[in-house]
Amino acid sequence: MTVSPVRTVPEASADEAARLAAVRRYRILDTPPDGAFDRIAALAARLFDAPMATVSIVDTDRVWFKAVHGLQGVTEIDRGPGLCASAILRGEPYVVPDAGADAGAFADPLVRGEPGVRFYAAAPITTADGQRLGTVDVLDTRPRRPTEDQLQALQDLAALVMDELELRLSAMRTVAAERERRAEAERLARALQRTLLPPALPEVPGLHAAAAYHTASPDEVGGDFYDLFPLNDGRWAFFLGDVCGKGADAAALTSLTRYTLRAAAIYDPDPCAALANLDAVLKGEYQGSDPRYCTAVFGVLRPLPDGSHAITLAGGGHPSALAVRGDGSVEPISTMGGQLVGMLPDPQFVRTSTRLRPGESLLLYTDGLTEARTAGGTMLGEDGLTRRLTATAPRTAHELLDSVEGLLRQLGDGVSDDTALLALSVPPPPTPRIQENR
Amino acid sequence: MIENEHLLTVTPHQMPAGPLVLRVTGELDHHSAPLLSRAVDDAAFDDTGVVLDLSGLTYCDSTGITVLIGAYQRSQRTGAPLILAGVNPDQMRVFTVVGLDQVFTFHPSTEAAVAALAK
Repeated sequence: MTVSPVRTVPEASADEAARLAAVRRYRILDTPPDGAFDRIAALAARLFDAPMATVSIVDTDRVWFKAVHGLQGVTEIDRGPGLCASAILRGEPYVVPDAGADAGAFADPLVRGEPGVRFYAAAPITTADGQRLGTVDVLDTRPRRPTEDQLQALQDLAALVMDELELRLSAMRTVAAERERRAEAERLARALQRTLLPPALPEVPGLHAAAAYHTASPDEVGGDFYDLFPLNDGRWAFFLGDVCGKGADAAALTSLTRYTLRAAAIYDPDPCAALANLDAVLKGEYQGSDPRYCTAVFGVLRPLPDGSHAITLAGGGHPSALAVRGDGSVEPISTMGGQLVGMLPDPQFVRTSTRLRPGESLLLYTDGLTEARTAGGTMLGEDGLTRRLTATAPRTAHELLDSVEGLLRQLGDGVSDDTALLALSVPPPPTPRIQENR
Repeated sequence: MIENEHLLTVTPHQMPAGPLVLRVTGELDHHSAPLLSRAVDDAAFDDTGVVLDLSGLTYCDSTGITVLIGAYQRSQRTGAPLILAGVNPDQMRVFTVVGLDQVFTFHPSTEAAVAALAK
């Protein structure tokens, strides 16, 4: 068998590299069968009244069939010497009237073996910049001569395949651009959200404070917030909460909530008044068809001469704070009955008070923690959190935070919402052997 | 975007000479909430009342809660009684924490809600 070397060796040239780059660009190889291309192959066969037709893409070392008509069970053949490999070398229709009389064509496995192809006509699928990706071709087991009309129609079908590929590429690019745009929006919202948390907690005399923000999903920004700041009479105020919704809207609501609470605290540091003030502001800002709410706990700390701190808390629809007492017991500081802020006609806020003695700590958290699912599928709840704190017996704000962050790590994917944590502790009295826990 | 709408279905059913029942099934979150919001907007709030059957609700986030409060506000404006039926214990715990247990009327099932409205 004599074979022309020009036809057998795939061009290892820059041209071939550019052609393969074009093939890759359309991301068509190894995609599942597709009605549009199947119909084009069927139409090509019908135009020639031929038993077989394919839509073929020529890869580095194989000819891959995007669509086949009348060729059972063939998905690709080697790109050795052969019909399709020859066809893409030309910019015009390629016709082999009788493969039995054509040495180059005879190398093709479809000619030598089953189904014993004798007639072959192909039109190249050519990109706008002249790269030939493959062919639309027609095959028959009898030698024959196609008409000019048939070859023209075959070229039209190849152009149709090219149009379809362009359309799909443009759709893929649109989807990719949209995905990128959304990811960028989420990154911005996340960055904005970060600016809404205090960069570092202030030093409060006689108190330890620690805070953390736990992100559940990189692409859905929650609106949890916390803050700790001095009032002008030696007292300190703090708050922690969660706004409804996700993304940039939630970040904007968080911003409004945080600044409103800080301003309200200076105007009237009564915790219930601060929440009532926030309620009025949210109702004013988000009236009409797009109402928003938040839940929050707001507290005021007053240092007492014996080193303990008196704490007054008000809750608006927020989970109970938990106090870890000196004996290791965990006590809910409940504001149950308090209602969410910003949407109800006449919301109730519930006030409570407690005292934090040396060696005791207090945890505020958002419901991302307590609504997390445990491995058993049940909600963690206040009970689960209480069990954790009882078992780990944290003595300081940092130990308290470590304990809860360990729990969050254990819960893993069970945590479906962002969680903010704020821990406060009064340092234990110094003992002869141990100066201080941390 | 409401691409996750398929995770939530809202099926309205007008009881003969009784309330409108909106059966809410699946996950009510910030993706799917507009679907329920539209269904509540489309519903007739009249003297026969509206029942939100939440027995098939598997998840409800904060945006879902805004839609439920929206339904409550509509019932307050129109005077049409509104009942939440079939709320599961986990969801009830969430409602209690945010203080909505004091706002809504609850019944264990749609049947009980319909019977209560017939009185």
